[in-house]
Amino acid sequence: MFRYQSLEDCPLDEDEDAFQALGEEDEDIDQFNDDTFGAGAVDDDWQEAHERLAELEEKPVANRERDGGGGEDTDLLGDPEDALAERLTRLVIDSELEDPAIMQAVQTRGPAQPGGLNSSIWDSSAVLQRIRGPLLTQEMPSVSVLDYALPQRPAQPREEERDPSERALPRRSSSPVIGSPPVRAVPIGTPPKQATMPNFNQQILCPKPVHIRAPMQQRYPPSYGERMSPNQLCNVPNSSLLGHPFPHSVSPVLTHLQRAQLLGGAQAGRMSPSQFARVSGLVGSPLPSVNPKLLQGRVGQMMSPAGGFRAFFGAPPAPPPSQPQHPPGPGSHLQSLRPQPQMFRPDTTHLHPQHRRLLHQRQQQNRNQHRSLNGSVGDRGGHRSSHQEQMRKDPYANLMLQREKDWVSKIQMMQLQSTDPYLDDYYYQNYFQKLEKLSAAEEVQGEGPKKERTKLITPQVAKLEHAYKPVQFEGSLGKLTVSSVNNPRKMIDAVVTSRSEDDETKEKQVRDKRRQTLVTIEKTYSLLLDVEDYERRYLLSLEGERPALMGERKQKICDMYDNLRGKAPGQERLSDDHFMQIMCIRKGKRLVARILPFLSPEQAADVLMATARNLPFLIKKDAQDEVLPCLLRPFSHVLYHLPLGTVTSLVQQLTNLPQSATAPTNPHLTAVLQNKFGLSLLYLVLSRGEELQSSDATTELMQDNQWTELMLMATRELLRIPQAALAKPVSTPSNLISLFSRYVDQQKLNLLETKLHLVHGIR
Amino acid sequence: MLVVPKGRGLVTGVWADPEVGGAPGARAGGGAGAAAMLFYSFFKSLVGKDVVVELKNDLSICGTLHSVDQYLNIKLTDISVTDPEKYPHMLSVKNCFIRGSVVRYVQLPADEVDTQLLQDAARKEALQQKQ
Repeated sequence: MFRYQSLEDCPLDEDEDAFQALGEEDEDIDQFNDDTFGAGAVDDDWQEAHERLAELEEKPVANRERDGGGGEDTDLLGDPEDALAERLTRLVIDSELEDPAIMQAVQTRGPAQPGGLNSSIWDSSAVLQRIRGPLLTQEMPSVSVLDYALPQRPAQPREEERDPSERALPRRSSSPVIGSPPVRAVPIGTPPKQATMPNFNQQILCPKPVHIRAPMQQRYPPSYGERMSPNQLCNVPNSSLLGHPFPHSVSPVLTHLQRAQLLGGAQAGRMSPSQFARVSGLVGSPLPSVNPKLLQGRVGQMMSPAGGFRAFFGAPPAPPPSQPQHPPGPGSHLQSLRPQPQMFRPDTTHLHPQHRRLLHQRQQQNRNQHRSLNGSVGDRGGHRSSHQEQMRKDPYANLMLQREKDWVSKIQMMQLQSTDPYLDDYYYQNYFQKLEKLSAAEEVQGEGPKKERTKLITPQVAKLEHAYKPVQFEGSLGKLTVSSVNNPRKMIDAVVTSRSEDDETKEKQVRDKRRQTLVTIEKTYSLLLDVEDYERRYLLSLEGERPALMGERKQKICDMYDNLRGKAPGQERLSDDHFMQIMCIRKGKRLVARILPFLSPEQAADVLMATARNLPFLIKKDAQDEVLPCLLRPFSHVLYHLPLGTVTSLVQQLTNLPQSATAPTNPHLTAVLQNKFGLSLLYLVLSRGEELQSSDATTELMQDNQWTELMLMATRELLRIPQAALAKPVSTPSNLISLFSRYVDQQKLNLLETKLHLVHGIR
Repeated sequence: MLVVPKGRGLVTGVWADPEVGGAPGARAGGGAGAAAMLFYSFFKSLVGKDVVVELKNDLSICGTLHSVDQYLNIKLTDISVTDPEKYPHMLSVKNCFIRGSVVRYVQLPADEVDTQLLQDAARKEALQQKQ
């Protein structure tokens, strides 16, 4: 329109023309207005259209009423949806959406289900029908979420007629455009009066994205196990003296109108949680019948399928609580979940029994403190009444039905189902196992075991192998790309390029070497973890598999040793270099300490020798980490199995004796003696030698001589060294005195005693 | 949150995970979801202990760990704000719920943690993820 090169070119008198042009447009506007709002706009009288549609719907409904005798209310709503569902199932080729991530929210549909109604864990058709029956006399509001999937719902006009008083917004004409704002018969945000399960299922079938909003009032989202309603499951809802910090409010159900008032136009999409919640409100009963998978691995061991499943979530309602010692059910050691009324949590969480005991103790302490502070037992009543007061005054209470809360909790809990609780929950289980072992060890030393050793059994879901096939539709071209957790999209392509530069600097080489060592350490660690796991696997495996397991284990141990010493198949292991590299790193030392118990005596002796040989170097490197003492215990275990010859050579290595005559000092020995680890190791070796000598009278003469010579030299050195230079050892074995007494006279013996603090009374 | 060092090789490619949004829950059937379970398991063992939670908005809350869920949301009871009370609005609060994504640090009692076991768990998890 404006063909001027720049603003300056625009002459002033053009303005009039522009205004004229605008004036012309005004007339157009009038015409547009007419088209939009006036006579031209009314293509179709929405009210008329509505009447038409309503008649359409009423006819089949009326027919059915006549046929069915009017008593079968439940089929009224069921049938249109069922028909729809059937049509949809026919459309989708793979009626079971293979992607377990999607189906997680709703359990997989059995294709054989009648009418396509889902046997999800949230309901069974029977339950659904039952619940819907009494509520059907009121209106059935449309599902806003559903509208996204099925834009034209013939049922809507009918509903609107039934309850015009509820209508807040005038209806717009139905738009054939998918994704446009839904037509609502009821104001947005009104929760449904009855459950409409099949609607939700249908929309799962549809590939269109479904938006489920979380319920609004999520005050305290349930944590892992604490949420099942006390009034349903437990006997004592608010029993804790402290007052349960997260009180479960007993919820009177608000009427529909009250709800609508409260929520106003808060949100759409609130349908779905309510639907679920209402239907799934009966927590216990429908579930076991439709969830055998959950208990596949564990049926024999758990209390009962129903009880077991409930136990997974919370306390079983039926059996009486608080049988503290002897639970009902098979196996006295299996019952890890016992509802205890006076607990910190009114319903049981899936805690390790040791953990629960610790918590309980802590609670007792707190309770006692509180008791002393507050004075009387009447506190309990006081707490209760204050709770009730709170509940009365709280204007935001009871916005969610208990069923809705259950629904939310179930979602979370389902996500926690694991196929392999040992791996998924590794830390927790092992931590408490260790604690129990410790306390068991302590108790055995004391009196007999007081508490029963209970094990934690985690329910295990059977692993379902899913070959994920993306959703397909009949007659469509190509496939849908739906990416989910199981089928993620690759976003960045990173290619690994290995560097093969020739002009690497020395530092880089050193760094690479270190990295190489680190990688070796990690590989060896994984082997180690595997090997440590073999015991458990052995117990779980069948008889026939066991030799194979043992073989694998041996192989892995050999691999570990090779990794440690530097793989040199067919070569003599001449250098300790590789081993030293590993030992310079803190992780490496810990690794060696853990591997030692698995190695054969020769291999272990080899490691020990290598350590002794290079001890000063190691000591220097360990100055910062100070982690060498962790090796003492495994070394001492190894020493038990060593013969005298090896022990002798060990002492040789450690003390670097005999030395050539020309060497005035013995830096090796000095370094060893000055270091805590070194000194302790020396003591251990000496003590072992002494043991061997004193116990075994038939040692060869040659070895005896060697040993004696060594001892003489060693004691000489020890006498020579100033006391200040000696480190403080971890432990001083008691037989050192007898050792030294063989080789030195009494005076020197006394000297040695004082210097080395060999007599315990002195300290 | 703390970063667990991965001792394995490089991960080539970055995978878009459309489920991201505060819900890295475990799935019944996959090992990939187990990454989130390590710290969940870890915090479960700390339930009942006193911890200090530092949030990303620099608020530090000291309290007893009441519970944790798979998103590492934390419920604390009997809380007190550790730093000088420049957060006076917290004076009357006894219990709180903290969303996992806003936590920066959790300070733990050292003797309640078994670091070796934690390292083992992390290694196992890394192995699992690799598979």
